[in-house]
Amino acid sequence: MMVTQIRIFLAAMLLVAMLPNSALAYIGPGAGFALAGSFLAVFGAIFSAILMILSWPVRRSLRFVLRRKPPEQPRFKRVVVLGLDGLDHGLTEQLLAEGKLPNLAALRDQGDFKSLASTLPPISPVAWSSFQTGVNPGKHNIFDFLTPDERTYAPKLSSVEIRSLKKSFGFGPFRLRYGKPDVRMLRKSKPFWSYLGDYGIFNCIIRVPITFPPEKFRGVQLSAMCVPDLRGTQGTFSHYTTAKPNDVERTGGEVVRVQRKGNAVTSDLLGPPHPDDPAGGSLKLPFSVTIKGTNEALLKVNGETHVLKLGKYTDWITVRFKVGFVATAQGVCRFLLLSTEPEFCLYVTPINIDPEKPAMAIGYPKVYPIYLSKRQGSYATLGLAEDTWGLSEQVLEDEHFLQQCIDIDHERETMFFDSLEKVPEGLCVCVFDGTDRMQHMFWRYHDKEHPARPEQVSPALENAIEDLYIRMDDLVGRTMERCDSEETLLMVLSDHGFNTFRRCVDLNRWLEENGYLVVDVDRRNEQYLAGIDWSKTRAFALGLTGIFINLKDKFEQGIVESGEAVEALAAEIAERLRGLIDPENGQTAIKRAYQASRAYRGPYKGNAPDVIVGYESGYRVSWETAVGKTGQQVFSDNHKAWSGDHCVDPSVVPGVLFCNRKIETDHPRLLQIGPTILKMFGVPVPEHMDGQPFEISSERTPVTPAKSKREELEPVA
Amino acid sequence: MLTTSWWKINSAVSGTSSKDMPQVIAWLNDLANRFASIFLSPIAWLPGWLSATIVGVVTGVLMLIVFKYTSHQSAIKQTHDQIKANLIALTLFKDDVRVGLRVQGRILAGAGRLLLLSLVPMLVMTIPMVLILGQLALWYQARPLRVGEEAVMTVQFVSTDEKAVNLVKLNPTDGVALSIGPVRVPTKHMVYWSIEPKQSGLHEVSVAIDDQTFTKQLAVGDGFMPVSLKRPPRQWTEMLLHPREPAFSPESSVQSIEIGFPDRDSWTAGTDAWLIYWFVISMVAAFAIKPLIGVNV
Repeated sequence: MMVTQIRIFLAAMLLVAMLPNSALAYIGPGAGFALAGSFLAVFGAIFSAILMILSWPVRRSLRFVLRRKPPEQPRFKRVVVLGLDGLDHGLTEQLLAEGKLPNLAALRDQGDFKSLASTLPPISPVAWSSFQTGVNPGKHNIFDFLTPDERTYAPKLSSVEIRSLKKSFGFGPFRLRYGKPDVRMLRKSKPFWSYLGDYGIFNCIIRVPITFPPEKFRGVQLSAMCVPDLRGTQGTFSHYTTAKPNDVERTGGEVVRVQRKGNAVTSDLLGPPHPDDPAGGSLKLPFSVTIKGTNEALLKVNGETHVLKLGKYTDWITVRFKVGFVATAQGVCRFLLLSTEPEFCLYVTPINIDPEKPAMAIGYPKVYPIYLSKRQGSYATLGLAEDTWGLSEQVLEDEHFLQQCIDIDHERETMFFDSLEKVPEGLCVCVFDGTDRMQHMFWRYHDKEHPARPEQVSPALENAIEDLYIRMDDLVGRTMERCDSEETLLMVLSDHGFNTFRRCVDLNRWLEENGYLVVDVDRRNEQYLAGIDWSKTRAFALGLTGIFINLKDKFEQGIVESGEAVEALAAEIAERLRGLIDPENGQTAIKRAYQASRAYRGPYKGNAPDVIVGYESGYRVSWETAVGKTGQQVFSDNHKAWSGDHCVDPSVVPGVLFCNRKIETDHPRLLQIGPTILKMFGVPVPEHMDGQPFEISSERTPVTPAKSKREELEPVA
Repeated sequence: MLTTSWWKINSAVSGTSSKDMPQVIAWLNDLANRFASIFLSPIAWLPGWLSATIVGVVTGVLMLIVFKYTSHQSAIKQTHDQIKANLIALTLFKDDVRVGLRVQGRILAGAGRLLLLSLVPMLVMTIPMVLILGQLALWYQARPLRVGEEAVMTVQFVSTDEKAVNLVKLNPTDGVALSIGPVRVPTKHMVYWSIEPKQSGLHEVSVAIDDQTFTKQLAVGDGFMPVSLKRPPRQWTEMLLHPREPAFSPESSVQSIEIGFPDRDSWTAGTDAWLIYWFVISMVAAFAIKPLIGVNV
């Protein structure tokens, strides 16, 4: 009886609440806010709609009158570029022939498929810089990921310089900091979308490498490669474990030993260095984990509780590090419970800059990353978002790494498809770089002769590379569905191809053996060229691409005089490297060695390594050389999970270019893409650009893309 | 909308009554009266603006907490985020009018979803809020009569008892004098008296029909007192709006007794204005406290 009464009463109250005029008086403040909020939204939408409709003719007219008009008629209303970092031409061709890439086949049949010549060297920062600027590296100043500091010889990022925030006022803990970190782009020359913007063409540029810090132009952009994590590094994972120290000796991230007390483990997340006392260590954020059996635990951080499931990533979790009295540094990270017995192991991704409250500008305009975050939830913002170190150092299993890559691809796809919806006219570029990371880490499953290939390969990973290409093919299918308009030009391209990396070449050891470099034998394993006797060293190697002459005019302890001697020395080294034979198997390790002075032209070619080494298939610079060590042998096997690479001769790893129109050239090059797109929009190609636009046919053959194999992503309103 | 008077709400909510509903309301009113006698009693000696402010703040915060635990917080946050994203999209992608209109459509859809999501907490809060507002109305909607100040008392009879209008008489009381009346209006089944209080205090005025007596509270004084404007009929909406006195039973000849108390003149604790002030203060307080207790509204 009572239940009936309450039901009747509640029904009546519902009626009361829905009466429009009286409702507010009855619903109380809580629901009042919701109503007020939604009314505000409604009011805002209606007001802005009216404003937009009324002002649209005026804005349109003003744009028509004021904007610079392209001298030629645009060929297309929209150009879409889908970048698949590292998609290899040879492998793609093979899988196409086997009928495993139906969507790419459809795109090829609609228009064209060509190999796309990469840059020298064919690595992402160099290649994508040439893609966006249309110039050779001598004009855009990016030659490698790293470059030696001219004073200390220590490696530094080649594309960006970040100086920390120092401005503050107040006293003691009551100190207020203001301003943002000083971030400078070292890439020179102007991206082609800036020229498009000058002619009023809108651009949406998502995760194209070497777009950090973001530059001002007409459109929106989310930066990629070189965006640091919250700690200011290029990605430092954390591994919390109860295992003994000798069990976890080596790591590219940070290992934190923790103690288990009953079912509880407590520790600290490590944040950015304290702004007042950087030497005093990092800011810390305490967290606790309560183990609830072998498969589950509860994580408590920032006053919030999250469930950890064994082997499953959490969603992005916001973490706030207190800086002084009121300020916080805010990031996002994901947790992965690796084991609870016999040892407790917890993996934490690098703490990414929170896109909802970015500690520094990671997009243009600043609100664009926030928009994406509000629209689709948090996402990876770190430049190299996929944690290859975690897998390399055997903290993560292959499956964990794969899941991370797939999740990031999903995030990227949501952004990309939103841009396709929001930009019906203009340029959309989106780069998926999971393809590059996965090929780096899983090539050992593709190459049955690889030294790092395990004896037993899980069936799920046996075809990891092929599955990756099939997934990307599916993405292309979904993209084609959204670009199925006569007025849209679609290009799917990669910056370089891929190759196996079986053998390492220690260039510093080779230089030492050939009398160009002298190293203290006891210090040869020290990083960053620390053990080198600079007074006797004429050449050294650092990074992935080449050899630097120890120039007197360039380096603090240089000994080689500028002028003809340098040219002669570089030519001598290049000549001796060319055709270098691996004594273990008699194969040629180095296909060609290029002198920078001849390979590049432009004002910045002096910053390049003097000799750029083009390796043969299967070879790459050694891990030791890359970080400035000098090993004890020139050749060695590569036993790391990082088993595929593309730091070889450009002719070994061409990229791909698919287009939904016929391409009227046989050998397109990556640096021609920008000028070609300018031409498609009728915008004149600046004279300084090295790439000449190639012709694209207006016609396309109607071909229906294959049905997507994967279910659509969750639609976001 | 907010200017709608508290008593005008009466007309908006009047209507459907159920057989068992009045009993539930009677229990709730009894409970509310007991609570109010403890928690609202300071209103009697506090300045009106202060008590209205305190009540607004406290109810705002309490309702916010209730909202937190009765609503789908993650869905509300997601909807808010979508609305914000779409608002930002309007500024980012303004070249194409079709894109703009589509985005605005989504904002409207988001606002609709927000309304739907607020339905459950709204329902949960309706009952306590109606009870609280009913109690607050006793204090702020009208002021007590002053000694010597005349007021009209109206007795409404049931339409089936035609004799009652002619038989009813006002019982003499020490603190209240009859100045005019009775004025009988048989067509409307009503009788009016003009009464004049002689002493401060909470009095009871009574009318009699034969041997039956019907009472009504009369508040007389200068400060704040709970003023019951009407002793209601046994209809649940009327009972909610006039919670202080027990309702007349449906069998009773008298259906209601109402006294025309004067308006209180104040921007914060006066007639009608108190409701607006309470609404604003409770909203402001809840918005201010919202970040501290982490509520998405």
